[in-house]
Amino acid sequence: MPGVFTVFQREIGSYFTSLYAYLIAFAILIITGILFITDLDNAAGQRPPDPSVIPTFLSFAMIFFAPLLTMRLLAEEKREGTLELLLTSPASDTGIVVGKFLGSWAYFTLILAITFIYQIILIGIAQPDLVHAISAYLGIWLYGGACLAVGMVFSAITENQIVAAFLASAILFLLWIGDRVGQVVTNIDFARVLRELTLQGHFSTSFAYGLLHAEDVVYFAGIIVVMLFITIRLVESNRWR
Amino acid sequence: MIEVKHLTKRYGTRLAVDNISFKAGAGEIVGLLGPNGAGKTTTMRILTGFMPPNGGSATIAGFDVMRNSVKARGQVGYLPERVPVYPDMTVHGYVAFWAKLRGAPNPRAQADQVLERVQLSDRRNTLIRNLSKGMRQRLGLAQALVHNPPVVILDEPTIGIDPQQVIEVRDEVRKLGQDHTVLLSTHILSEAEQVCDRVIIINKGHIVAQGKPAELRRKLQPEMHLYVVLGGKRDGGEKLLRSISGVEAVEASGEGFNVRVKKGADIRTELIDKALRAGYNIQEMRPVMMTLENMFLDIIGREA
Repeated sequence: MPGVFTVFQREIGSYFTSLYAYLIAFAILIITGILFITDLDNAAGQRPPDPSVIPTFLSFAMIFFAPLLTMRLLAEEKREGTLELLLTSPASDTGIVVGKFLGSWAYFTLILAITFIYQIILIGIAQPDLVHAISAYLGIWLYGGACLAVGMVFSAITENQIVAAFLASAILFLLWIGDRVGQVVTNIDFARVLRELTLQGHFSTSFAYGLLHAEDVVYFAGIIVVMLFITIRLVESNRWR
Repeated sequence: MIEVKHLTKRYGTRLAVDNISFKAGAGEIVGLLGPNGAGKTTTMRILTGFMPPNGGSATIAGFDVMRNSVKARGQVGYLPERVPVYPDMTVHGYVAFWAKLRGAPNPRAQADQVLERVQLSDRRNTLIRNLSKGMRQRLGLAQALVHNPPVVILDEPTIGIDPQQVIEVRDEVRKLGQDHTVLLSTHILSEAEQVCDRVIIINKGHIVAQGKPAELRRKLQPEMHLYVVLGGKRDGGEKLLRSISGVEAVEASGEGFNVRVKKGADIRTELIDKALRAGYNIQEMRPVMMTLENMFLDIIGREA
């Protein structure tokens, strides 16, 4: 994949030079900070603090934050015309798409790493279940990657960033709410199938409980691979128009 | 360096490029000349590996743009019509990014060199969003040259910038001919005439004429035009001129006459002789060049 590292580097750089990426990080950190304190307050003297409180919150919040992080990736390149230069450089289409995806995932990883400080604070004041926390964090890291990959597909579809973010949010919301639908459907087999298809179905009852199932890892990795494949094809289609 | 054979590109049913063939040797500056929508940009996009052709082939420095696309793309520096920029990057960061992506051995140093060359060194750390249009154009040129490619493709490099900067860009392009093969498109004829070693006129997707600007002029200029101002006597000048064999038409223009002469005929000696004998003197006599502009309109008109 020629070009992947160069594109990745530029992408990371562009997150750190844009105001809105800081705003997203700010929003995530302030909300998770409040959640952490509230949970600690509620747990004091009654139960151990919940190590997965922040990953569980993010599993919902990524519906909105992931599209905000990815809407720019390809839509802006198309609008500014830089996509034409990228596609005429010796970098491969795969390298460009994967580089961009890794850039956004790395930025998300950084935000996630900052929230892990809460777990380290806990070590000083309680006896947190660190293995549980690590499992939940690993889960939300993969979950977030899958959400970013979905967001990227929509960034490749349109030149309009707002449309890209909106469509991605809508699809992610469906993937999230599917789990709830599964809970009210009377046919148990149908409910099970629905649950297997949703993001929550592979997070809320496994990673969030500190369980690491190979099938869940494969599910998220599979979503990432399929979405990247679609994005590469979409980028390639610019050559045929 | 550039070799294009029977290139064809269709958008749906519309034929954008129709069986175009041409060559450009090392160090040659070739101009693609044509009205908007003639197929210039499409031809360039095929050569830069952006889009595949429907038929024919094109090679850049020996690499086929279809079969050996990545290699071919590495040999080209490309400036699209609208300079594509990342507004939030610095000037140096932007140029270094493209250098790196195109595999330049020493991206940061090469970026500095090329910025020196296009006179943007003092703006090295400015954000691109704060650059003027002319500076952006030079930045686009820097981006295309930074990895020192053997072939440089410029799509309308002087569009939308002020006259002073147009002159600067043209000078820069002319200098490029020393160590690059340059293909540039333009719809400004005087530009092609000033800058290019060879001009290819295309219209509606196919080549209507090609050659050196001077050659084209000779080939396409059907008859000689003379502008003559007679003095000494007031009237009868037109009649006198008409009486010379080889003269096709005479029309008064300003103080003198525009004389159209049959192809191949040279009337100058006879004209002087007759005029003096009739008691006129000749205050001015000069050949009128048909400008490329007129030629171009003539060709395009004939096409339509």
